[in-house]
Order: sequence, then structure tokens, then C-alpha cells
Amino acid sequence: MNEKTVLMMDTSAEGDAATKDFHDSFMNALRESDLSAQINLVRVRDIGIYNHGMVLKILPDNITYARVEPADIRRIIGVTLKHGNRIQDLEYKPRARQLRLVLKNCGRIDPESIDDYIAADGYQALRKAVIEGSPGQVIAEMKASGLRGRGGGGFPTGLKWEMTAEVASAEKYVICNADEGDPGAYMDRSVLEGNPHAVIEGMLLAGYAVGATQGYFYIRAEYPLAIERVQRAIDQARDYGLAGDTILGSGFSMPLDIRLGAGAFVCGEETALIASIEGKRGTPSPRPPYPSVKGLWGSSTVINNVETLANVAPIILNGSAWFAKFGTEKSKGTKVFAVTGKVKNSGLIEVPMGTTLRDIVYEIGGGTAAGARFKAVQTGGPSGGVIPEQFLDTGVDYDNLQKLGSIMGSGGLIVMDENDCMVDIAKFYLKFCVDESCGKCSPCRIGGWQMLHILEGISEGRGTLEDLDRLQRISKAMQKASLCGLGQTAANPVLSTLKYFEDEYREHIVNHRCPARKCKALLNFVIVSNKCKKCGLCARTCPEKAITGDREQGYIIDKTRCINCGMCFEACKFDAVERN
Amino acid sequence: MARISPDDLGAIKKSKAEHHGDFIRVGMSTCGIAAGADKVFRVLGEEIKKRGSAIELRKCGCLGMCHAEPLVEVAVQGMPRVVYCRVDEDCAREIFRRHIEKHKILQDYVIEMQSEDAQ
Repeated sequence: MNEKTVLMMDTSAEGDAATKDFHDSFMNALRESDLSAQINLVRVRDIGIYNHGMVLKILPDNITYARVEPADIRRIIGVTLKHGNRIQDLEYKPRARQLRLVLKNCGRIDPESIDDYIAADGYQALRKAVIEGSPGQVIAEMKASGLRGRGGGGFPTGLKWEMTAEVASAEKYVICNADEGDPGAYMDRSVLEGNPHAVIEGMLLAGYAVGATQGYFYIRAEYPLAIERVQRAIDQARDYGLAGDTILGSGFSMPLDIRLGAGAFVCGEETALIASIEGKRGTPSPRPPYPSVKGLWGSSTVINNVETLANVAPIILNGSAWFAKFGTEKSKGTKVFAVTGKVKNSGLIEVPMGTTLRDIVYEIGGGTAAGARFKAVQTGGPSGGVIPEQFLDTGVDYDNLQKLGSIMGSGGLIVMDENDCMVDIAKFYLKFCVDESCGKCSPCRIGGWQMLHILEGISEGRGTLEDLDRLQRISKAMQKASLCGLGQTAANPVLSTLKYFEDEYREHIVNHRCPARKCKALLNFVIVSNKCKKCGLCARTCPEKAITGDREQGYIIDKTRCINCGMCFEACKFDAVERN
Repeated sequence: MARISPDDLGAIKKSKAEHHGDFIRVGMSTCGIAAGADKVFRVLGEEIKKRGSAIELRKCGCLGMCHAEPLVEVAVQGMPRVVYCRVDEDCAREIFRRHIEKHKILQDYVIEMQSEDAQ
């Protein structure tokens, strides 16, 4: 019998002890069967399956068993380990799986080696296009694939390229938009850091398709490692003759350069981005004309997001039919999400379009972090909205999320639990947009500020019910009258939290209560004397010296001096400080 | 480096495919480095030098499991490919002593494992 490895982990109670006990029982059973030399037992840190009791994975057979009881050990040894047969009733069938098209080589190849990328079929799509194909074929393939812009807008990529290709222009530009700015989103950073050549190849293919003469990466300066790796990759590609003059000996030339963003969120908007590359102040301008007609320095320009471009080479190499197999009818392929917030496994995931939010949060993300009650997911960053529990079975694609009042956005997905206050969330995102508003148009500049003022009032108990109507009215005005996407969408987090969690707003206004106990101005901190161990930690922590007492008498909070900062609550190890 | 011809792409791929020795790979994206991957990378480099090991030390990007960084993947012939998670400097030395030298898989640090022929 060949050597086998059995991976094990108790997935229910995060019980390391349970896994250890099981490991010991299994080991004893193996010794009794004289198999302990051939079978490797390994306790693992994470097995990729959650809340399914004891989970075992057997290699090299690749068999997964879930909800295994100690009583099953003998059966597993006899049937599976000795004879290689599967036990049907224990086998685990995953509901949702990741599908890695964009991230396929991320974490598998050395991002600083062009040879590593070439060994993973890199630049084969470029070769296929410039040596054997034509720009028209590339555009036709992209249109047939159904790929839509992954930066959030969801505009069909092939169509964008076709429109740009049709414009006659002496100079033409391809810009890779790597000005990723949504709070909690870092998909583009990871792709640029993990596989920069894939994005370069996508850009070169885009340039070949539209007839571009120059390509620019617009990367935010806050991503130094991504900048360093992209620069190195550009240099390597140029040295190999894969970028720059007469690419692969063909008649196509396209130099690549990097331009840095200085940290303004609005520069992710394409017209502001163009202004920023031109060296002007990064403010948007009205469209049309669209960049495909009049873009960088007045020339025809195509702007694509990092993830969009990373999708291109696999599509050209494997064909549009291969790509169109994945996803839903109107949203093809996969989407990378940065799953963060109150989720057990934060990280990057890539799933086929149409995967349900429930599968993303629970099957792949492992559920809420502290086991607290799930409340909502937030997608689309400051332009998106929250999606409450009743819609968790929605498959994610551009159209479904829009129907729910959120957007796909660039792929930030923030999980929120019962300890997150929806007024506070709306305030956070709106504050972000107010800070980042360029100030050029008044609906965004003034509307955002006024709404933030109202939300602050509500979270401090000064709100009125009329405020809710006022929020709706200002939101509508901002949506209709703002110049660019930032202002048009800035009210979305407010509108969607109002839509699904109006009760929470009312609770703040009418009863001056924050159900999630987040809005500090509405809280009242007290020390519960029978829980208090008189350690004095709270008194030492209090920045206002509002806690008085001693280790004999115990401690009390002086309401007149308390600023509701919550530091005593965080500090107390015995839960003796309560907030009401 | 010189310019390459279209056919060279295939040749580079072939020469890479023929070269498959043992390696250790450390996730060195921002998420990994923030969790201490550069320290782990340095320790592994020191161990290789100290022990005169022939194993190749490589860098890679983010595998996606950012909650479990730093991630270290170990490929040693005759053993499954193993990804260890939350590796610190001590664990990195342990990986060298136990996994690479004694061919024993460490308990409690594995996050992913594939049989050798799966890749």
C-alpha cells in the first residue's frame, strides 16, 4: 500500500482540543491496525470547509469526509485507507467553489520573473494576436466573450475597444486604471503585485486591438510594491521585445510607462484620471465626449481596469467560447472580491458570476468572525450599498446587485454583523465621499456636506423624523445633478441603509438609542458592581479621570466628566462595564 | 537580456518545465509582508546558507488567504506540496528542520496540501 496523508480539523467549535483528541484516537486505531507507518496524520489550521464537524481530507485519493464521528474511524481505516474505496454517506460535496481565472497564477509564480510568467503560457496570447491574428479578430473575440468592465461600471470591454478602434487619431492611448480607492478593496493591488505581466499582456492586446501608440499605468502612489513590480515587469518585457518597439518582430509598437496617482479618490473616474496624467488638477469633466473619442491630450483613449485587463490574455488564448462558459447570461466570467470586515477568513476570492452572497460569506468566507449575528454585506465601496440577510441568496452579477440598490463596484465586499450600526456605516461612507469630493460641482460639494451634517445629528440623538425625508431629497438631487460618478453615487450608502434599516434610523431619532451600541453619544456607560473585581484598570485607562474609587470600595463613573469614549468598556476584562 | 523571437516563448517554457527541483515559496505581497513574510524569507535564506541546502527559495504574490499570512509553500520530492500558514521565524526554522530535512509534515500549521502529482 502506498503512503497516504490524512488531513484533519474540527470545523465546528474552533476546537483545537477536539482536533487533538480525534488525532490521538485515530493514531491509536492506526497502531492497532499496524498502519501507523504508512499513514501520515496531519492536524491542519484551516481545511476550507466550515461548520461541518470533523472534516478529513485523504491524499492522494482526494477524498473529503465531513461530520466524521470517532465511531467512523475504523470504517475509514478499513474501507478507505486499506482499500481506497469511498464511503458515500461521509463524503462532502462542496456547494460553491472558487474558480481562479484572473488569480490563477497569483501566488504560484514569481512576480519578478518574466520567465516564470512565460512558463505559465504568458505572452502566448500576445504572440497569437500579433503574429497570427489581426486587431479585428481580437475585438471580435472580446465582444463574443461578453467580458464587462471590472472596475465597477460593467461596460462591455469589446465594445469599448471597437469604439476606440473606429476613431481615426494620430496618437492613441491605452490606460490601465490602477487607482483603486474603495475602502476595503485591494484586488487590483494583489494582481499587480502577484502577476504584473498578465496586466501588461492585457494592455498590449488592448493596444494592438485599438491601434494604440502608448500605454500608461495609472497607479496610486500608496501602492509602492505594486509600482516597483510593475516597473520591473515593464523593463523585462521591453528587454525581451515584448513591449516597446516592433513587438515580437511585428509591425506593432507600444511603449509602456507608469504615472502615479497622488491619492485622490476622484482620480479613479476616467476623465479626472486623464486630467491627472496630463499634469492638471484631477477634476472630472462632463461626458460626452467619451475618452474613446477625445481622451488623453485630446486623442482617442481606452481606459480599462486592472482586473479587466488581466482577463484579456486568457480569453484570447483560450477563445471567447471558453470564457463565456463561466458566469451568468449577462455577466460572463468570474469576479475577484476582497472579502473583509466581520468575516472569519478575510482575503481575496474569485468566484464565477452568479455565485450567491451566502456561498461567498458562509461557504468560502467561513461565516461571521466572532460568531455574531450576520447583518449585511456592503458591496461597491462608497458608491455601493448594503444588502441585508433576506437577499443573501442572490447570485452576484452586475444587474442583480443594481436591482438591490447596491452595485458590483470594483469588488470590495465588507461583511457586517449585529455590532455594526447602519447610521454609522452610512456616515462613514458619506464622510469618505465628502473628504474626496473635488468640489467642482455644487450638488456633490454642498449636498454631501449637508447630508453628513444630518447623519451626525441623528447619531448624536439630535435627529428629527423630517431628517429622513431631507436625506432622501438631497440624495435625489445629488444623483441627478452631480457631474461625475463620485457625486452621483455618493448617496447610495445612505439610501440603501435607509431602505433596509429605516427602523435603526428611527430608533436613533425617536428613542435616542443605538441598537448596535455603536453611536457613542447615545451610550451610557455604567460599572456593574457585582461583576466588578475592583482591579482599577478602567480608572487607569480613563483619559478624563472620570472613574473614581479605590480597590476597597470599587469604582464608579462620574457622568459629568464622562465623554463616552468607551475605553473603559474595552479595557475591562470581566465585562463589568456595560453600555446601554 | 536580448530580444526574443516568437518561438523563444515555447523554448523558455520548455526549459522551465524541465527544471523542477525542490523549492520553498513565500507569499511576498503587501498582505504577506504586513504579516511578517519578509522576516520569514530572511530566516529561510539564512537557514539555506547555514545548512548548505540546495533547495531553491522563491517569492510569489498573494494566494488569496490574507487572513492566514505569512504563507509558505514547500515542495520536496516524494512529499505532498504543502502550504503552511501564520508562519513566524521559529516556525520557518521548524519547517527547515522537520519538513525539508526529515520529511515530516508539521502539525497545526498546514492550510493547503496537494499530492505531488496534482501540479
